Amino acid sequence: MSFFTRRLDPRAAISVWVLGTAAVIITARTNVLMVESGFILLAVCALGLFGKWISSLRLILPVTLFVFAVSAVFFSMAEAAFLGLRLICLLTLSFALFQKVSVEEMGESARRIGLPYGVSFILTSSMRYVPLLGERLTSIMDAQISRGIDLRPRLRNIPNFLALVIPLLIQAILLSDHLAMAMEARGFGRKERTFRKVMRIGAMDWAVMALSSVLFALFVWWELPHKLGAG
Amino acid sequence: MIELKNVSFCYSGSVDFALKDIDIHIGRGEYVLVCGGSGSGKSTLAYLLAGLIPHFIDGELSGSVCYDGAETRSLKMADFLPRVGLVFQNSDAQLFNGSVEAEIAFGLESMGLSPGVVEERIIGAAKKLRIESLLGRSPTHLSGGEKRLVSIASVLALGPKLLVLDEPFSNLDWEGCARLKTILRELNEAGAAVVVVEQRLREIIKDVERSIVMEAGAVLFDGEPDQAKGAMKELRLLPRYRRRDMPGSPRKGSEVVSIKGLSYSRAGMEILRGVSLEIMEGEVVAVIGKNGAGKTTLIKHLNGLMRPQEGKVRIEGFAASGQSPLKMAGLVGVSFQNPNDQFFKNTVEEEIRVGLRLSGRDRPERLHEISILFGLEGLLERSPHLLSEGQKKRTAIASIFAVEPRVLVLDEPTTGQDGRFLEALEDIISRLAESGHTVIVVTHDLEFASAIADRWVMIEHGAVIKEGCGPEGIENEFFHQAA
Repeated sequence: MSFFTRRLDPRAAISVWVLGTAAVIITARTNVLMVESGFILLAVCALGLFGKWISSLRLILPVTLFVFAVSAVFFSMAEAAFLGLRLICLLTLSFALFQKVSVEEMGESARRIGLPYGVSFILTSSMRYVPLLGERLTSIMDAQISRGIDLRPRLRNIPNFLALVIPLLIQAILLSDHLAMAMEARGFGRKERTFRKVMRIGAMDWAVMALSSVLFALFVWWELPHKLGAG
Repeated sequence: MIELKNVSFCYSGSVDFALKDIDIHIGRGEYVLVCGGSGSGKSTLAYLLAGLIPHFIDGELSGSVCYDGAETRSLKMADFLPRVGLVFQNSDAQLFNGSVEAEIAFGLESMGLSPGVVEERIIGAAKKLRIESLLGRSPTHLSGGEKRLVSIASVLALGPKLLVLDEPFSNLDWEGCARLKTILRELNEAGAAVVVVEQRLREIIKDVERSIVMEAGAVLFDGEPDQAKGAMKELRLLPRYRRRDMPGSPRKGSEVVSIKGLSYSRAGMEILRGVSLEIMEGEVVAVIGKNGAGKTTLIKHLNGLMRPQEGKVRIEGFAASGQSPLKMAGLVGVSFQNPNDQFFKNTVEEEIRVGLRLSGRDRPERLHEISILFGLEGLLERSPHLLSEGQKKRTAIASIFAVEPRVLVLDEPTTGQDGRFLEALEDIISRLAESGHTVIVVTHDLEFASAIADRWVMIEHGAVIKEGCGPEGIENEFFHQAA
């Protein structure tokens, strides 16, 4: 059981995600995709994420249904089912990655594979500020609705959305300015920076990466003749 | 330790000097309060002390700023770390890491300390501020008070000889203030020089050994706090409230707000628990409570932004839960804490006219009446974004009042405001009540609440735990809670 509950090194987790995503993307047949879905679901359960994944379906399903409906109208039901399942697989893989690896760890992994620290830090910071700006947007919306500005999604209300956009834009600009100041005041960009988190790829990480690579190779081997034949 | 001689500073693109001919010397281990009205140059002084001026903020700097004998112009920004630590007013901008632990570690890693030392210092700072339980949490999900403590810890861990804090008491309730005061005293006793830039003077004036009073970018007074009170009173930094007459029974006209058994839960947590409250026409009620007590959730039920899960909310007989917030805007006007959330027009006049158009009374005489009531006559052509904090707040409240609601709700109107604004706000609230409006003020500023309200209601853990009239009740409550 410790095999599944132990935290993977973020780099190993990202590698598994990359291989899984690549396998889903290159798959063109529904039966292969269904087998892949089985493996993904198994991994979700093994990682102890099944309950959370079920809750996340509230977000995943509406997008999937939209893609399914559009594909059903423009292509066929079979194609729509295939595209819907592929989307669920891709979103589930990303869900599992974000559940197991923090934004900070992703940034640190990116730095270790050669991205400059400044760039990886800015990337992770911008990801962290998305929920903060989301909170700001909610506050702005509450304030504007409370003064009687109609922000319901109606054609005639389009000009009213300036009441959301302008305060948010100004606050985002001010926030980035203050953020830069705060980072500078705590030594961002100093050359002697150390990194306290030690990342080590252990035997377990190698084992998981090897298993994912084998599975990936099997799926490619299964799918490739079909792809070449179609070509 | 740090000496400013004849220092003036003008921000790039501005014609007015933010600091004018400043001469200040701050020695080791001093505990200094810097106060002044909005726009007096306090924050600019803090940036100067922390080296952000001239190394990060553009502008014209003249005079000499020396740190331990070295001219700060000749130092690099990196040289200020770890000598000087600055805690910013805006905690959201200061907390830019994924966890509290990483936040405290950031500056230490910048200094090139070994992982073992970094871990040690993280634990030390967290213990000092009693935030060990927060180390694994994301700063985004902390309360305002917790964010403030984490901001301080992230700077404190660096071991600065000079700690500068820009309005650290804003957003804190009375318990948070008492805790922060103790922490700052302990830091100072441990040998650090502490400079607190603050508007909430009563929170800190008894603790400091020196007060610097600023006005229009210049130092008006620099000396012992007791002697500074004269200058503070002259500048109306310490508000002198007129205190409304408190009749034996505060009840006035007919019932306007009726809340019965209101409960609300989120993610399994009870935010409001069976709140019942009646508020009369022309009454001024202060809803007081600590951070996270459920005050803002309560007022969001008054104008339909939130629907009661249990209980009823009626405004002038109409069920608020059955109405959209848009329809409720004509009955209940809510001014939230941050006035910048509202501004999207080019001038103050246009902001007010948004409300006038919605009320159907967009006429010059009405605009004139409102601008006089809120003291905005000379500011109508100005951009709301370029006003002082007090002027912004007045504009925000005026634009909500322009919709002509019967009930006006002010959420934490005193945060970040100087004494002059507080006096002006007391006057505005009195006049609104006299004209028959019902005013609900949500605040943790107990002194303000006792000055303006006919009645106060204390909320704790989502329930009304106490009600009372007059200042004595609140003051007793304050001392009881703070103790």
